[in-house]
Amino acid sequence: MTGQPGRYEGQQSDRRPRFPGFDVLGQAGHWDRVTRDLVTGRMDPPKGGFFTGGETACARALLNLLTGQEDDPRIPVLEMVDARLEAGETDGWRYADMPEDGQAWRDTLAYLDADAAQRCGTTFAAAAEKDQLALIQAVHDLKSGDWHGLNAAHVWSLWTRYACTALYAHPVAWNEIGFPGPAYPRGYKNAGAGRLEPFEVRDARPSGDPVREGA
Amino acid sequence: MPGVTPGVRDRNESAWLLPNDGSRTNHRLRRCMRRFADTDEIDLVIVGCGAGGSVLLQRLARAGWRVAALDAGPFWDPDADWVSDEAGSHRLYWTEPRVIDGTDPVPMGSNNSGRGVGGSMVHYAGYTPRFHPSDFVTRTADGVGADWPFGYAELRPYYEQIEQELPVAGDHWPWGDPHRYPYRPHPVGGNGEIFLRGARAAGVEARVGPVAITNGRFGNRPHCIYRGFCLQGCKVNAKASPLITHVPDALAHGAEVRADAMVTRIAIDAETGRALGVHYVRDGKERFQRAAMVAVAGYSIETPRLLLNSACPRFPDGVGNDFDQVGRYLMVQGAPQTAGRFDAEVRMYKAPPPEVSSEQFYETDPGRGARRGFSIQTVSPLPITWAEHVAAQGHWGGALREYMSDYVHWATLGALCEFLPLPGNRVTLAAEKDRLGLPVAQFAYSQCGNDRALATAAQSVMEDILHGAGADEVITIQRYAHLVGGARMARDQRSGVVDQFGRSFAVPNLYITDGSVLPTQGAANPALTIMAVAARAAGHLAAGARGGSGR
Repeated sequence: MTGQPGRYEGQQSDRRPRFPGFDVLGQAGHWDRVTRDLVTGRMDPPKGGFFTGGETACARALLNLLTGQEDDPRIPVLEMVDARLEAGETDGWRYADMPEDGQAWRDTLAYLDADAAQRCGTTFAAAAEKDQLALIQAVHDLKSGDWHGLNAAHVWSLWTRYACTALYAHPVAWNEIGFPGPAYPRGYKNAGAGRLEPFEVRDARPSGDPVREGA
Repeated sequence: MPGVTPGVRDRNESAWLLPNDGSRTNHRLRRCMRRFADTDEIDLVIVGCGAGGSVLLQRLARAGWRVAALDAGPFWDPDADWVSDEAGSHRLYWTEPRVIDGTDPVPMGSNNSGRGVGGSMVHYAGYTPRFHPSDFVTRTADGVGADWPFGYAELRPYYEQIEQELPVAGDHWPWGDPHRYPYRPHPVGGNGEIFLRGARAAGVEARVGPVAITNGRFGNRPHCIYRGFCLQGCKVNAKASPLITHVPDALAHGAEVRADAMVTRIAIDAETGRALGVHYVRDGKERFQRAAMVAVAGYSIETPRLLLNSACPRFPDGVGNDFDQVGRYLMVQGAPQTAGRFDAEVRMYKAPPPEVSSEQFYETDPGRGARRGFSIQTVSPLPITWAEHVAAQGHWGGALREYMSDYVHWATLGALCEFLPLPGNRVTLAAEKDRLGLPVAQFAYSQCGNDRALATAAQSVMEDILHGAGADEVITIQRYAHLVGGARMARDQRSGVVDQFGRSFAVPNLYITDGSVLPTQGAANPALTIMAVAARAAGHLAAGARGGSGR
């Protein structure tokens, strides 16, 4: 389904959104205060201090590519991951063959830079986008093979867990997928296939299964 | 008529001790809570205030014991501490460092490990099935696993008690020991509709429930609002957790809950070999609570870790570990999740994730090529978790975003496969230390052939159900669910850590009363069974074993 690594071929055309006009934050007045403060705070995350300057550039490029934001980085994934690492908010486990998460991030960013230097003589952040995409895809394609002494599948797990957790914590990403976000104290009154709440928006392309289209 | 079981308030008033003004915590009850001095030798100190610890606390407080439960995490207030948000619920999970290993390592944290008063039941889905009678005799009946030191019939009265106290809602249950539930089944959302429709088409029997979510008021607990955030802590007080089902009644009967108190070591008298109390850290200070009896209820990772970290001259390899049993036979259920794509908008987030189950495949089926079985249930991943499903198919970048935009069209089922208890699946101590300087737990896990065969069979049934409902595409992710075992009950000290009442074979006044004592796990979510086993142990203690004198 993908024309090139990390790309969906249909993505190139200027598609209209699947949930036109759907705006999660427009409903924030219906949320409890604690949740509202937390979620609205994600629109402007505090500056983290975990990554060093060079690491920041590498991590920003990696995270924006992993989350499909190379053209339109509206969701501050780098800032959210940086703040999380600074706070030491791990998932509560690590693979025995990986360093703890913070060190694993530093190490793997350095390895990406090393791969970029070998492939195109630049840092990862300074490499052309097609090279960046190929370098990332190469790590994915190793599956459980060795990458700079680490199990590549465990590296991929680390990167995508942090990237996806940040991406789908963000209201802008919820708008794209039709998910209304917080639901307390209002709850839902119209559960069931095909039924909508007044504040939900119907999918404009209900047969738009990207896999089936791309097949 | 279904509803509040007569007499339940007389034996557990928790639901009536909660506020009825729209707030969720009885602050006065906590403020006026009894507080014991460290130097006071209390009757019982409990380590961990989750499913097992809270039930024990409540039962023994009712019996007049001077009892305190120490918990490493906070004393949650759902109004102030919990959010209706997936990423923001991070603090509900035990995220202190742990190392995972083996050929099939098991991720921890949000998947299976709770933190704070209420334990993992704060973030469990809410399914509360019973084990089947066969789960207690798998060695005899199927030649695998282990037999429990008691049978299903001895646990049944405790199942009934706890089902009334949570309370549980669901259809008449035809599997295992057929039984009814105190509350009617909930209406189902899109995911549940698809399961029921697909099951009919595929010739699979399915039922609504059983869930510990109020259907109608229960005391001062309101009806569920179907907001779908069960795994993020119920801000409504509709989904049962010990924080609201057993702790309030315990406090009202003179128990203490000491939150933010991390127990680091059980103290053992070098001469008598008896437990003297527990060392713990609170507010950065090392303290020691004296007690006539200690009960450990830290769940399957932290309970073995505490026993191992409590090594002393009498027990150089860890308390109760003379026969190398501590930490072994730790079980997780194989939990593949299969999702199906529909042109209709399913919007599976709009209802509690636990809706509909089938236990048709629970027992050994000679035609399946594997011993024991699995159950199938609805699960309804929220976006971050759903992204794991999509990423597991190899998608990332723009492809991931595109695929994710299809979220509202997917329905998801999960299996619980009875993976077998194996001696090599165990907790040991890692070289790494935590912030208190204590060695962290290392959990090694590897599947056996029977396990893999069950997971494959379960995936096939889930695909049949989803195709039966009209799915045009299905995807599967391999996962694990739940934890039990690690300090199992047995008939003797060469094959387990505790006896049938949770009493340590090695230390007469040390008990274990959590999921780690289970010898098998069935294909059922373990919360109800953990509570029932703890209630049974509590009954035994209250009947005369105070101070460890009875046997």
